Amino acid sequence: MNETTFTLLEVDLSTGEKHVVDVTKDMRTYCGGRGLGAKLLWDRVPAGTDPLSPENILYFGVGPLTGFVGSVVNVSALSPLTLLPGKSNMNGHFGVELIYAGYNAGLLLKGKANKPVYLYIKDDDVEIRDATHLWGKCNPDHQETLRSELRKDLDDQNFRIAAIGPAGEHMVRNASIDHDFYHHAARLGMGAVMGSKKVKAIAVKGSKAPSYQNPRLIYQVLLKFLKEGWEERVTARRWGHSVTMPTRYYKTTEGIKNKQLGWDPICDLSNPLKLEQGAKLWSDACNLCQVGCKVPYMRRKPPFSPTIGEIRHDNAGGWNANVMVAGYDPQTYLSTYVDVLGLDSEDVSGVVAWMMECYDRGLVTKEDLDDIELTWGNVEAICQLVKKIAFREGIGDKLAEGLKFAPALIEKADKRYAISHRGVAITSYEPRGNMADAVGLVVNPVGELHGARGNPERVICDSLTICFFVREDFPKYFGGLAGYARPMLEGTVGWKLSKRNWQNLILRASIMERCVSLREGYLPTRDDLLPDRFFDEVIYNKYGEPRSLDREKFFEMRKKTYLAFGLNEEGLPTKKRLRELGMDFVIPALEEKLGAAW
Amino acid sequence: MQEGKKSKHEKALERKKGWGVESLPYPKGIALIDARWDLCIGCGYCEIACSMFHHGVINRELSRIRIYRYLLPAPKSVQNVCSQCPDKERECEKSCPLDPPVIRYDHERFHMVVDEERCLGQKCGRCAKACPAQIPRFYPSQQKATFVCDLCEKDGVRKPQCVEVCPAFALEFLEPSFPQHLQRIHPDDKAACLAERLNPLPRNVAQISPEELFGGKRS
Repeated sequence: MNETTFTLLEVDLSTGEKHVVDVTKDMRTYCGGRGLGAKLLWDRVPAGTDPLSPENILYFGVGPLTGFVGSVVNVSALSPLTLLPGKSNMNGHFGVELIYAGYNAGLLLKGKANKPVYLYIKDDDVEIRDATHLWGKCNPDHQETLRSELRKDLDDQNFRIAAIGPAGEHMVRNASIDHDFYHHAARLGMGAVMGSKKVKAIAVKGSKAPSYQNPRLIYQVLLKFLKEGWEERVTARRWGHSVTMPTRYYKTTEGIKNKQLGWDPICDLSNPLKLEQGAKLWSDACNLCQVGCKVPYMRRKPPFSPTIGEIRHDNAGGWNANVMVAGYDPQTYLSTYVDVLGLDSEDVSGVVAWMMECYDRGLVTKEDLDDIELTWGNVEAICQLVKKIAFREGIGDKLAEGLKFAPALIEKADKRYAISHRGVAITSYEPRGNMADAVGLVVNPVGELHGARGNPERVICDSLTICFFVREDFPKYFGGLAGYARPMLEGTVGWKLSKRNWQNLILRASIMERCVSLREGYLPTRDDLLPDRFFDEVIYNKYGEPRSLDREKFFEMRKKTYLAFGLNEEGLPTKKRLRELGMDFVIPALEEKLGAAW
Repeated sequence: MQEGKKSKHEKALERKKGWGVESLPYPKGIALIDARWDLCIGCGYCEIACSMFHHGVINRELSRIRIYRYLLPAPKSVQNVCSQCPDKERECEKSCPLDPPVIRYDHERFHMVVDEERCLGQKCGRCAKACPAQIPRFYPSQQKATFVCDLCEKDGVRKPQCVEVCPAFALEFLEPSFPQHLQRIHPDDKAACLAERLNPLPRNVAQISPEELFGGKRS
């Protein structure tokens, strides 16, 4: 059996050149998606590059398992929000379309266009087209306009589109990339990078035959998962992920009033049953996923209607009790509104929560906020402020810099109330409810706070690329992730991995990313920390039970986690490990950064 | 894959003959694949089940059933599959320039058939144009002749694979409840029909703007 060759579509926006590059060797070493993204950042982006400059790259990464049980695209670039490597996942159907177009290692953008453009990809036909008419349009207007326009040249189907909204155009540091209505590569400012390259949208349509090595084996594994895993996930199809929010309130793992409280009566206003029975439209799935956990809702009942929305703890997270917004109705409205503007819901809600607390404490006044009365839970005021951020108007221009840079620009506001981790807002997570959550949040090299992103198993999922939600089911039916991934890899790309090679693949993908971060100035023991509020203040759950985070235990747990990740106690990869993994080439650059003691 | 102990789900499945529509036996005579668009989650398992059965490959482009995905603006998928029309309504068969028609209904096996050797291919393409839902498909890079749903008939047994795998019960293999050509709706029209559920929002607007909502006080 042959092994698949991997091709990457590389587009230089400055010159308009397009190349198809063979990256089979790097794919074999770093697996694709997030792992390959880290390698590309190491190779192509010099240390200390300004993320919003043309020297940065934007990589839409797919992997050997893209299109099976979801179709994740992992977007990589240096993040304007943290100045470290940025990673963001987007599901839906965009990734599988790249596979069908024949680019099974993804799409790499570099340089900068001199006017707004969109990228048209239909199989081998790649064009950089003028997007002046789309510039300024919101989500999903830009996608619908482009879809109907492109459909004219086409016999049957719709294009898959990834696009940015006004926030990305204005290079707001936490802007998102949108695909369909509710799939977003939102975290870490990937939309701002796309905006800095003046790329409004990417439209892909593929009709080639994917080159899978052993379709029967793939089909057998998929059917096993489909038939046995079906019942396990039947509730997810019914509810989507809106149910997790009340559960999290009760576990004290969801932030309330910018992390000042552990419970508030408004938490009980989020009732998923009422939401489902009153407003559910249908269930929707990503490619080849039997779960269908995307459940759009349509609200017809005033005061926040008409609006459609899709609610889950991370995308709508933040527009909940963390800013004292009560119940699903205003939350649906707000999460859709930031999607329309093309902002990362989670991050911008953290910025708003910070301003709200400062306003509440009298540190900033109505005049400072351009006459916006930013009281807790005031939906109208939130909309006004968020719009200012997206268009960088007035105070919004400063807030658009994100929690890493904005505190220095707004001197009156207190930095201590900006609840962030290396500049990324912590909104939907409350670390005091669960120690594993607390450590999972911090021990990642990218500053990405979306639930245990630093875990090597998570990195390999993003590299393969498979959906992280269904990964939880693999142990039941395949004895673990490896039991699913190894036969699937053999079926799709012909890699027969021994247990040891599989482990090494995981380590290489996760350590490569860590190395890029270290090169950009990340130091685990200094940076993998939570804001003081979590250690110093005690919160109480609904039943008056205290929840707190102990510093000593936290550090102990952090150390154990580093060791479990194949690192040393300081969270650094050892030279020995790097040599074992064949990554000697990073050692000189890291030595320079970390000093002789390393 | 792991061998050994059976999970509770495996055991439950062994006790069960099918999943959902199993109480109805598959029909013997005239029958069709009944697509319920509202239940379709757009996963695309039907497409690969079809291409696996007919060609032994995973390639949605070689599937006789296709999923069309729309933004209404809430994403919605609808299926497009042959409804095995009654004789007088079979536009594809009528449009075929050859005699006897290449694409026609087999009255003994109760499903559509294509004489692959004689088909003129995509250059002709009249059957696809004649069908209001453009169901006969072409994939010239791998197959010259057109292809259309044959209900996965093999040695006289019809067992539609798409119906077997659909995780959302959105496909059923049934006797027609009404003249089956009425199911022959173009996917665009199906999407337009479902878009009514989102009334009054147009396709490109997800919500009422805050300016409108809060009475135009200020932007």
